[in-house]
Amino acid sequence: MAVTHHPLPAERAVFWYGCNLLRHGDVLRLTARFLEAVGVDAAPRGGPSHCCGSPTEHNARITEGMGRRTVAAFNATGREKVITWCPSCHMNMADLMVPETPAQFEAAHVTEVLWQRRAALQKLLVRPVQARVLLHRHAGFQPRVAVNDLVSNLLHLIPGLELVAEDEALPGHMCSALAGVPGALAAAHEANLAAMARHGADTLCTIFHSCHREAVALERGRAIRVMNWVHLLASAAGWEFRDEYKHLRNAEDPRAALDEAALGRIGADVFTQLMEPELRRKPVV
Amino acid sequence: MAEACTACGACVQACPMTRFAPGVPEADPMQVAGGMRALLQGGEASAVSLGWIGACTRSAACNPACPEQLDVALMMRFASMRARGALGEAPGIAVKTDSGWSARVKGFARLGLTDQEQAEWL
Ligand code: SF4
Repeated sequence: MAVTHHPLPAERAVFWYGCNLLRHGDVLRLTARFLEAVGVDAAPRGGPSHCCGSPTEHNARITEGMGRRTVAAFNATGREKVITWCPSCHMNMADLMVPETPAQFEAAHVTEVLWQRRAALQKLLVRPVQARVLLHRHAGFQPRVAVNDLVSNLLHLIPGLELVAEDEALPGHMCSALAGVPGALAAAHEANLAAMARHGADTLCTIFHSCHREAVALERGRAIRVMNWVHLLASAAGWEFRDEYKHLRNAEDPRAALDEAALGRIGADVFTQLMEPELRRKPVV
Repeated sequence: MAEACTACGACVQACPMTRFAPGVPEADPMQVAGGMRALLQGGEASAVSLGWIGACTRSAACNPACPEQLDVALMMRFASMRARGALGEAPGIAVKTDSGWSARVKGFARLGLTDQEQAEWL
């Protein structure tokens, strides 16, 4: 793959990671580190205070208010670019938020930014990663941002990694959408597992957080691993990380797998009532 | 956009989710699509149309299928919001609310981020 050797100038941006990536602090931190390493001063912003309005779409007034607040907050930073992670946030920005509140920034997806800056990125990716990888593709976001191609291209920068040739894309824009339709998520998982078996792949590489959240449980009882594309880049860079969500999701007893200090930070009630039921959910396949 | 829609049903035929929407594979695609158009025009949709709209996961396979070159995925999005009562109507599709969502993601933030990261990034 041809790699440009002309480094792009540094730029100031917001890294808008959305809300639900907060489940994966490791992915958030690694992505921010990659952006910085390739020359983007990207301030991470997200969580419910920077919501795109998705969770409230049954009430247009609230959705609109949340979108307006978030665009105004980004405008106030004076940064010229907002780098998105979540496809839902990215599409909401274009479809609902900016038409209501004019933006003083341009939006770009994180995969676009990293690919534009691949000359700097490739210098970091020095450690071979022995993995035969199936990319977990969805069809829905691809017409907006060619994310399936961009992540494939990024993975091709990793020495040692083999990406199997599979163009089949799952329906939907990410797995959280499929999870709401009876039978759809199980069908998607089964399609991925069948494709992995067909190609002899040992690693399923997720693109989005909600897909990662749903797919990590596929490791249970199977000789496969599920990693996000950022984990694979970080492995090639030799950066340490621990997929804490996967660790807890696949623990026999998530409560016992959580150390006391972490429980103290979270609060026992929040963990028991809000997090533990999700971590204990039975896998759909 | 709804005015330009002819309810031809090509978007329904291209949709990869119809197999998960009870009644839709057997229904007339024109009538299914007509329900989406009706919702966008302030009218009502049949139960089968609502089932299709409720099964939309934003695959966007409808867009290249539309002979009128409409952004059907966006139309479906607005139809879905409308069917969930976004403008104050009675919802035709059950709304799943999650009152614990904000506290849950903040709990995960406390699990995975340092105090300083939370203070600066949230
Ligand atoms: S394909 Fe286009 S014109 Fe035909 S029903 Fe769907 S939105 Fe309407």
